[in-house]
Amino acid sequence: MTKAYGVGETRVLALDAVDVDIARGRFTAIMGPSGSGKSTLMHCLAGLDTVSEGRIWIGDTEITGLKDKKLTQLRRDKIGFIFQSFNLLPTLNAAENITLPMDIAGRKVDRDWFDRVVETVGLAGRLKHRPTQLSGGQQQRVAVARALAARPEIIFGDEPTGNLDSRAGAEVLGFLRRSVDELGQTIVMVTHDPVAASYADRVLYLADGRIVDEMLNPTADSVLERMKSFDGRGRTS
Amino acid sequence: MTVMKTSVRNFLAHKGRMALSAIAVLLSVAFVCGTLVFTDTMTATFDKLFGSTASDVTISAKKVDDAQETGRPDTVPASLQQTLVKVPGVVSSYPDVTSDKVTVADARTNKSISPSTGAPTIVSNWDPTETKAVELSTGHTPRGPTDAVIDADTAKKHHLKIGDSLRVIAAPGDFHVTISGIVTFKTTNPGAAVIYVETSTAQAKLLGDTKAYTGYGLTAAKGVSDDRLKADVTAAIGSKYTVDTAAETKKKDKDDVGSFLNFMKYAMLGFAGISVLVGIFLIVNTFSMLVAQRTREIGLMRALGSSRRQINRSVLVEAVLLGITGSVLGIGGGIGLAIGLMKLMGKAGMKLDTSELTIKATTPVVGLAIGVVVTVISAYIPARRAGKISPMAALRDAGTPADGRAGKIRATIGVLICAVGAVALIGAGKSDKASSGGGLLGLGVLFSLVGFVIVGPLLAGVIVRAVSAVVLRFFGPMGRLAERNALRNPRRTGATASALMIGLALVAGMSVVGSSMVASADDQLDKSVGADFILQPDGGQPLTPALVSAIKSAQHIEHFTEYAGVNAKVTLPDGKTVTKQFSAVTPTYADDLRLKTVKGKLTDAYAPNGMSVNEGYAKDHHIKIGDELPVAMVGGTPTKLRVNVITSDDTTVDHGAWYTNLATAKKYLPADKQPLDQIMFAKAESGKAKEAGASLTAAVKDYPQLKVRDQSDFKDLIHKQVNQLLYMIYGLLGLAIIVAILGVVNTLALSVVERTREIGLMRAIGTSRRQLRRMIRLESVVIALFGALVGLGLGLGWGTTGQRVLASQGLGVLEIPWPTIIAVFIGSAVVGLLAALLPAFRAGRMNVLNAIATD
Repeated sequence: MTKAYGVGETRVLALDAVDVDIARGRFTAIMGPSGSGKSTLMHCLAGLDTVSEGRIWIGDTEITGLKDKKLTQLRRDKIGFIFQSFNLLPTLNAAENITLPMDIAGRKVDRDWFDRVVETVGLAGRLKHRPTQLSGGQQQRVAVARALAARPEIIFGDEPTGNLDSRAGAEVLGFLRRSVDELGQTIVMVTHDPVAASYADRVLYLADGRIVDEMLNPTADSVLERMKSFDGRGRTS
Repeated sequence: MTVMKTSVRNFLAHKGRMALSAIAVLLSVAFVCGTLVFTDTMTATFDKLFGSTASDVTISAKKVDDAQETGRPDTVPASLQQTLVKVPGVVSSYPDVTSDKVTVADARTNKSISPSTGAPTIVSNWDPTETKAVELSTGHTPRGPTDAVIDADTAKKHHLKIGDSLRVIAAPGDFHVTISGIVTFKTTNPGAAVIYVETSTAQAKLLGDTKAYTGYGLTAAKGVSDDRLKADVTAAIGSKYTVDTAAETKKKDKDDVGSFLNFMKYAMLGFAGISVLVGIFLIVNTFSMLVAQRTREIGLMRALGSSRRQINRSVLVEAVLLGITGSVLGIGGGIGLAIGLMKLMGKAGMKLDTSELTIKATTPVVGLAIGVVVTVISAYIPARRAGKISPMAALRDAGTPADGRAGKIRATIGVLICAVGAVALIGAGKSDKASSGGGLLGLGVLFSLVGFVIVGPLLAGVIVRAVSAVVLRFFGPMGRLAERNALRNPRRTGATASALMIGLALVAGMSVVGSSMVASADDQLDKSVGADFILQPDGGQPLTPALVSAIKSAQHIEHFTEYAGVNAKVTLPDGKTVTKQFSAVTPTYADDLRLKTVKGKLTDAYAPNGMSVNEGYAKDHHIKIGDELPVAMVGGTPTKLRVNVITSDDTTVDHGAWYTNLATAKKYLPADKQPLDQIMFAKAESGKAKEAGASLTAAVKDYPQLKVRDQSDFKDLIHKQVNQLLYMIYGLLGLAIIVAILGVVNTLALSVVERTREIGLMRAIGTSRRQLRRMIRLESVVIALFGALVGLGLGLGWGTTGQRVLASQGLGVLEIPWPTIIAVFIGSAVVGLLAALLPAFRAGRMNVLNAIATD
């Protein structure tokens, strides 16, 4: 797929003929320096943004060309989101935030699943709290729980640990990892933190709107190593 | 200077967010300026008119205060002319015969051509001085006894042309004239119908006396001042007559309409004041929200070294800019409003020329002052709050700064003021005197209003939850979110709803008093009015003797009752002499209106040389049954009347009336001071009501000023009059309500901007546009219903108290107009929906990516 801004001479390619498969039931990280197009890629995959050329499927559904109404429905029913910040509605308490996507859809909340998710992210005692009464880490855990609770086909995370200290970040990433392993969830996460990327099964490297590399079963060190090499290349080229 | 620059930039940057506040200022200022321009134009129009009609010196009969209605104007002798022409300095002396106690009908159709606006119908003699005010456009001036000249506006309105016949109904008798010419006013004539006839015709037919005139108009010789001439004339004719210079005549004429114009002006300004008050809430909210949204920015400026005062001032400078913008537009709008009003009056029959639009220099000054002062006062509290923002705010995560909970102090003060208001209202309801009750009522209204505005944010919590529990639970998660959004900032919700509350409380209060008035009158008509027919001419004209005999020719009538007003100086037991109007009636009146009495038998009030006094007055002045009070009827022989009856004050009809026997009154009055009947009643023979009605209608068919009304017609008339008054008040309150609705739009629009990220998040996780719009709409509906509930509740309290206060004054029946109240309530929900249209649309259109962009 291709995503371009502007036309003619001022045309900028944010994504330049990217072709990517996300494996079901796996944890995929997308890495790249600022401006590499990783956020754009995620927005397009999640149906938040439209592509200029190319096609995108989620499961059997092609999302390119869908009208806003269908796209909204798709996001509601098949996709979960975790953003870097401002993940929760301040007027709702933790439990209400978690069930919000299902409430919006008018679906019944699966109590057993809800309890299991809440337990997994360790929020049992804080369900009645409003977001302002929770720490940043706790807020992100609520966001993770919200993404998981609706049992989406895929969860997109946009720097989900970007605003957290390393310990809280590790907690959140641990939950994401466990949800893949134990619950069979599919997750795509955009990050520029090698440590975060090391929790994934597979890392895609993006630069100048293209996928330039890929790594399976990464560790923090190997990711960092690879990043340095890109940076070096970037500077010399 | 930097502060100034930042303010101007901020103001320009937030044009959109200021727009609704500017409209609120605009509307309020337009209302004020429109009122001023309109009333000034009317005053100027009358000034010019009176200026064009006044003679250098005018001589007329001494005006007797409170003389009874005889249907004939007061006169001066015709013989005076000889004396006048001999006074040095008099160039010409024209006798004047003018009467406005007439009804004029188109003789073919027998339809009245008298204005329905309350403007007079004037029949006058033609003399050359009339050309100062009018000029003949076609035909000729009156030459023969049946010639008449009519003003062009009236002719046009009633499709009259030369040769058409008119019937003039005057006290001495009816007469026919034929239109011989049409005149056009040189200045604007706002609506009087004017007819000129020959002097001798006017004398004979209007005065019934060929040796009298109503006055003289003198023209002064060159070099003789009006004052000088007045002095000379007074010396020549003595002090038996009124002698006025042109300036004095003009002033007297002006004073007549002036009090009405002033009343209108201040009533309209009062309503304008209410919309200004409502506008304040809107402006306070706007600035509070702008300051809240700019918290980080202000924090940064503080961190960079701006002082509190500088921040404070920068917000106030924005307010001044807003005030100036709104006022300037408002002044223009006001002029437009005045022109529109003049056109509207034109449709209703009152002619005002837009080319005579009078804009006094003070009008724009007043408009600008109101606009700017109100805006700055409104912005003061938010500005202070802005000044208090700590530099730390710059460092904190933005988010939506919570306004915090309404403080305890606020609650205490608010509840206390409410309590004072409630006590005053209860006191007013219990007070047995209308005057003290009225004072308490006013106090209660003021305090309860202020109290509710103060506790508004606290009430928001309770009432929004209650309304939500009833209404919003049908709307699932969006309903819940709407409720939470309405509750997240109680102060904002409270202020928005308060604005609506004020207008609706007044509407509810007025409607309760109005419908109680109607219900009480109906109740009394049912219980105490025995007459089958009520015969009262329109436009306050008396019944002429010819009309009375026409009425009396009707068949199947058991009795007729005549009712006239007679003024008299009455000497009370405590020695004071007061002027009172007596209702002089024929004794059958006791059967037509079965009044409650405190003491005495009602029929005795109408017995020869008897009289009655109302309860309250009798109590205050220690008047007892059997007192013989010296009574001097105006222009009549003094006598003594015996107080036979003390009537109850608990009545709407004839409230506070003093009665006496009509024959007695006539006995003590000379022939030229005999009162004309103001109203007549008729009772049909048993079982013959229908025939009697038909016979009466046939008997008065030549008199377009009189419509035969039975009891139900009369009730309709009262309903119509009360409703007309209510609709006018609702109309005037309409602007305040519109400003309040703008306030709801404003709050929602600014909230949507403030919640950009939240809305983006909701969209990202799958909220559809429709759901989002519904959320905004529901929030709006909840705010509107909150305002409506409190407003209507408050208004019901006021209205009920008002009825209690007036209960002893004939407003005995409390009638709560539930259909109106419910309609207003449902209307508020609809208004809520409408107010949310634009904000909801904007929220739906918001770009998801912009909204969630992690900047």
